[in-house]
Amino acid sequence: MPNGDKNYFDPKVLAGISNLALRARWVVEGLMSGIHRSRAKGFSVEFEEHREYSPGDEIRRIDWKALGKFDRYFIKEYEDETNLRAYLLMDASASMNYASDGITKFDYGCTLTASLAYLILKQQDAAGLVTFSDHIESFIPPRAKRDYLTQILGALEKRGAAGETNVGKILEDIAGQVKRRGLIVLVSDLLDEPESILNGLRQFRFRGNDVIVFHLFDQAELELPFDGNILFEDLEAANLQVIADPRAIRTTYKQVVQEFINDMRKQCRDNTIDYQVISTATPLDRALASYLSWRG
Amino acid sequence: MSVFFLYPVFLLGLLAASLPVLIHLLNRRKLKRIRFPAVRFILLSHKRISRSYRLRHWILLALRTLAVVFLALLLANPIFQTGAGLFAGGGPVSLVVLLDNSLSMTWSGDGNGFKQAKDAARLLISALNDDDRAAIVPTNITGKEPFRLKAQKDVLLRELDAIEIADGTVNLEAALGKAYELLNVPAGQKEIRFITDMGLTGWDQFSLAGLKQVDPSIPFKLIHVGRKQTPPNGSIKEIRLGSPGIGANLPLQIDVTVANFGESELKDVLAQLSIDGQNKEQKLISVPGKSESSLRFQTRLSQPGAHAGQVTLKKAGLAGNPTTNFTLDAQEKLKVLVVDGDPQTSVVQSETFFLSRALNPSGERDASIFLPTVILTDGLNTATLDGYQVLILCNVAALPESFTAKLQSFLRQGGGVLIFAGDKFQADSYNQKIARDLPGQLGEKKLGPEANADKIGKFAAKHPALQFLADPILEESIKSARVWGYFRTTAGGQAPLITLANGDALLLEQNVGAGRILMMTSSADRDWTDLPLKTVYLPLIQSLAQYLAGGNRGALDGGIAVGAAKEIALPPTLVGKNLRVTKPDKQTAEVAITAEKNRAVASIEENDRAGIYRVSLPVGGEKNAGAPQMYAVNPPLLESRLDEISARELQAKLSPIRAEVIPVDALKEGGKRTDLALPLLALLIVTLLIEGWLGQRF
Repeated sequence: MPNGDKNYFDPKVLAGISNLALRARWVVEGLMSGIHRSRAKGFSVEFEEHREYSPGDEIRRIDWKALGKFDRYFIKEYEDETNLRAYLLMDASASMNYASDGITKFDYGCTLTASLAYLILKQQDAAGLVTFSDHIESFIPPRAKRDYLTQILGALEKRGAAGETNVGKILEDIAGQVKRRGLIVLVSDLLDEPESILNGLRQFRFRGNDVIVFHLFDQAELELPFDGNILFEDLEAANLQVIADPRAIRTTYKQVVQEFINDMRKQCRDNTIDYQVISTATPLDRALASYLSWRG
Repeated sequence: MSVFFLYPVFLLGLLAASLPVLIHLLNRRKLKRIRFPAVRFILLSHKRISRSYRLRHWILLALRTLAVVFLALLLANPIFQTGAGLFAGGGPVSLVVLLDNSLSMTWSGDGNGFKQAKDAARLLISALNDDDRAAIVPTNITGKEPFRLKAQKDVLLRELDAIEIADGTVNLEAALGKAYELLNVPAGQKEIRFITDMGLTGWDQFSLAGLKQVDPSIPFKLIHVGRKQTPPNGSIKEIRLGSPGIGANLPLQIDVTVANFGESELKDVLAQLSIDGQNKEQKLISVPGKSESSLRFQTRLSQPGAHAGQVTLKKAGLAGNPTTNFTLDAQEKLKVLVVDGDPQTSVVQSETFFLSRALNPSGERDASIFLPTVILTDGLNTATLDGYQVLILCNVAALPESFTAKLQSFLRQGGGVLIFAGDKFQADSYNQKIARDLPGQLGEKKLGPEANADKIGKFAAKHPALQFLADPILEESIKSARVWGYFRTTAGGQAPLITLANGDALLLEQNVGAGRILMMTSSADRDWTDLPLKTVYLPLIQSLAQYLAGGNRGALDGGIAVGAAKEIALPPTLVGKNLRVTKPDKQTAEVAITAEKNRAVASIEENDRAGIYRVSLPVGGEKNAGAPQMYAVNPPLLESRLDEISARELQAKLSPIRAEVIPVDALKEGGKRTDLALPLLALLIVTLLIEGWLGQRF
C-alpha cells in the first residue's frame, strides 16, 4: 500500500510496477487519501444493490423498508444511477512506444488510463476503453461495475503499441459508436494532422460529450536533447528520415513543438475541450488532478 | 611591397586548414541513428532553419578554417614590407651594404650618383629593426680592413657619412669577399646589398674564383644607380713626352691623347696644362665618338729637378676624370767634352762636325740637353774633367801621359768615355796606356775602298743605349750604314753592342769603376763610314752620350693607377731604413725599405688618392740614388667609362650567386617592415571568439 514516504506519481517509480492494476490502484489511492469522498449518483429504474447510508447521501433515497427490516439505513442504488459515462481512448500507435528515459509514452498513457478507469469505477461512474492505432484495436463500452476494471486493464495489457497513427479518423469512427453523451478522455501523442484530430474531437462535442485530451510527450520530444549529427528515423513511417544536428535546430524545434501545442490548445479552447499537455516525466497526479478538477 | 616569413616551415600548417572540412565530412559519414516519434517536427524545423542554418554552418566552417590558417601564419611569423627592395628576407637581418665609392659614381645618376647611393644606404640602415645588425663596406677596400656587423644605427650612419668617393675603381673581390666573411656567422636572415652604378670597369676585373668563400643562399641584390641622360663621356688616355729629353730651359713637348667613350663627338674641350701649379698652356680639342685625338703642348721648364704636371679637361657636363697628373724629371744640361784629334780648317771637314751637331743640332745654348765643348788634342794636357759627364775622344792619336791618370780617375768616379777611332788613332798607345779599361784589345786597322764597305750586321737591341733602335725607321737606317775603315779588336769581356756584317765589332762597352767606356772602332766623321749621314746618327750619338752620362736625360712619368703599388728601387745601403711618402692630402706615411736580391726596394701600396706623391729619402740617403722625388697617381682610365655591365654578363660573372637588380628609385619610395604576428594573433582570437559565439547559438 502506498504510504506518505513514497512518491506515488513518479513515472519512474510507476515504471517499476509491472502490474497495471496495482499501478492504477497505487496512483489513485495515493491521490485520494485524505480527500473526503463525495458521491454523485444518478437516478435509474433498475435496482442494482443496497448500500449502507453514509453522511451526504440524500435522505429521500433511504430505503425505509430496509430500515424497518434491519434497523439500519440503506440506500437503494440502481444500475444507471451514475450520470457519467466515460470513454477512455488510448492511442496504441507505434509512436507511443518511445521512451527516452524510463517509461514509454504508451506505458505512461496506460497507467494514466487505468488510473482514470479505477478512479471512475471507484466513484461508481461508467468507464469504457477504446484502444487504437490506425484502426480500433479494442472497444469496451462503458459500464459502472466495479469488476469492470479487470476487463479494461486486460484490454490495455493485451498488446503493446504498434502501427501508424490516424487519430482523426479513429475519433470520427468512435464518435459514431458513442450513442449516449458522456466524457471522452483521449490519451495520445497526437502525432497526426492537427486539423484531422480536431475534426474528430469536434464530432464528440457536437454530440454533447465532454472531452479531455491528454497530449503525451516524452521529455526528449520537447527538448530534443541529442548531440552530433543524427539520422532521425520515424517510429511509424519507415521511409521518413532526416539528418540533422540537434544543436543547430533545437531552438527552432522547440518553437515548432510549442506552436503545435499552442495551436492545439487554442483550437481545443475554442471547442470547449479540456486540453492537457503531459510529459512522461510529469507525475501522474497532475494528470489525474486535471480529471478531478473537471469532475468537480 | 611584399610579405615574407621568418619561419616559413610552419606554412606547412596551412595544410591543416583542410581539417575542419575533413572533420565535417567524417562527421557526415559517422551518423548516429535514432528512432524518434516526432520526426515531423524535426523536418519542419529543418525546413524552417535550412537557409540560415546552412549559412551559419558554412560561416562556422570558414571560421574554423580561418582559425587554422591564422595559426599557421602566426607560427610562420609573417613580415609585411613596404617599399620595394628593402629587405627580401625576414628579420632579424644581418645586412652588409656594399657601397660603390669608385670614381665613376661621381658621374652616375645624372651627376649625383654617389649622393643617391648614400641616400639609399641611409634608407637601408634606417629601415633596420633594433635586433638587426649591419655593416657598411665601401668597395675600394683592400680586404684587410676590419669590419664588423653592428646594431647601432647612429654609428652605422656616421660610418656612412664618412665614406667618400675614391679615386680608384672598385675592388669587388675584396668587398664581396668581406661581405661573405662578415655573414659567415649564425643569423636568421642574411643579405648583401650592393649600391652601384654597375660600371663595367669594376666587373671587368672581377672573378668569383678570387673569393675565399661564397654562399649563394644569401640574397644578393644590386641597387642600381642609373642615369636618365647620356652625358659627354671622355677622359685623358695618355700623356707622353714629345721631345727626346727634358732639361732645364729646353723646349718641352708634351703630347696628350684624349679618349671619347661616348657615341657623339666631344667638341671643343678645353685642355689645360699646368706645371707646378702654374698654368702653362691651353688648347681646344675635339674628339669623334668612340675615338681618340691628340694634342701637343709646348713649354719649358726653368729649373732642373722634379716637377708636378697636370692636364685638365674642361667642358660643361663632361663625365669622366678631367684631371690627369704626371711628373717631369728635368735634367741639368749634360756637359760633354769633345776632343777633336784631327782638326781641319774647314769646320765641315773637322772630325767632330757631325758629332757636335748631333749633340746640339741647332747649335744654340738652350736648344739641347747636351752642352758640348770641343777642344783639340793639345788641350788635353791642361783640360780638367770636373763638371763634365761625358768625354768623347774623336780620332785622338794618343793619350797624353798627364791625361791618362785624369781619365782613369774620371772613369772610376762615374764618368763616361766614348772613343772614336780614325786615321790618326794609334791603337798601340791605347793598348798600352789604358789596356785594362778598354773593352777589348785593339788590333790591326782594316781600311778598304768605300765600295767594299761592310754593313752593320746586328746590334744589341735590348741594351739601354740602343733601345731607341726599336723604331723600324731607325733600325733600317742603322742597317743601311756602311763601314769601310775600322780597327779590329780581340774578344773582350762583353759582347759587342754593334757588330758588322763580317762579324767584326763596331761598338764595344767596358765598365770601369762607376763609369764606363764605349769604344767605336770606326771614325766619328765620314772618313771611314757613312754613318754620320744616316738618320740614325743623331739619336745614336745622343743615346750613347745619355747612356754614358748615367742614363737619365729627364723623363715624363704618367704615374700609376689608384690602388696600384709603386715600387722604388734604391741603393742597397738603404735597406732597413724608411722612406717617407707625403700624399696629396698632405698625410705622410713611412715605408720600409727592404732587400730584394741585390738591391733595395720600397713598395708604396697606399696609393688610394689621385694626385702627386712626394718621396723623401731617409736621412743619410744618397741624393742621387736614382729614386724619384715624386710620382703621380691617377684614376684608372676605364673608371671614366660609363658603360654598364649587362644583366647577362653580370649573371655569368656571379653564377651561382643569383643577383637581383633593383632600381635605386624603388628604394626612394621608402619602406617599412611590420611584424604581422600581433595582428594575426588578434585575428585568431577574434575568429575563435566568433566561432565560439556562433557555435553556442547553434
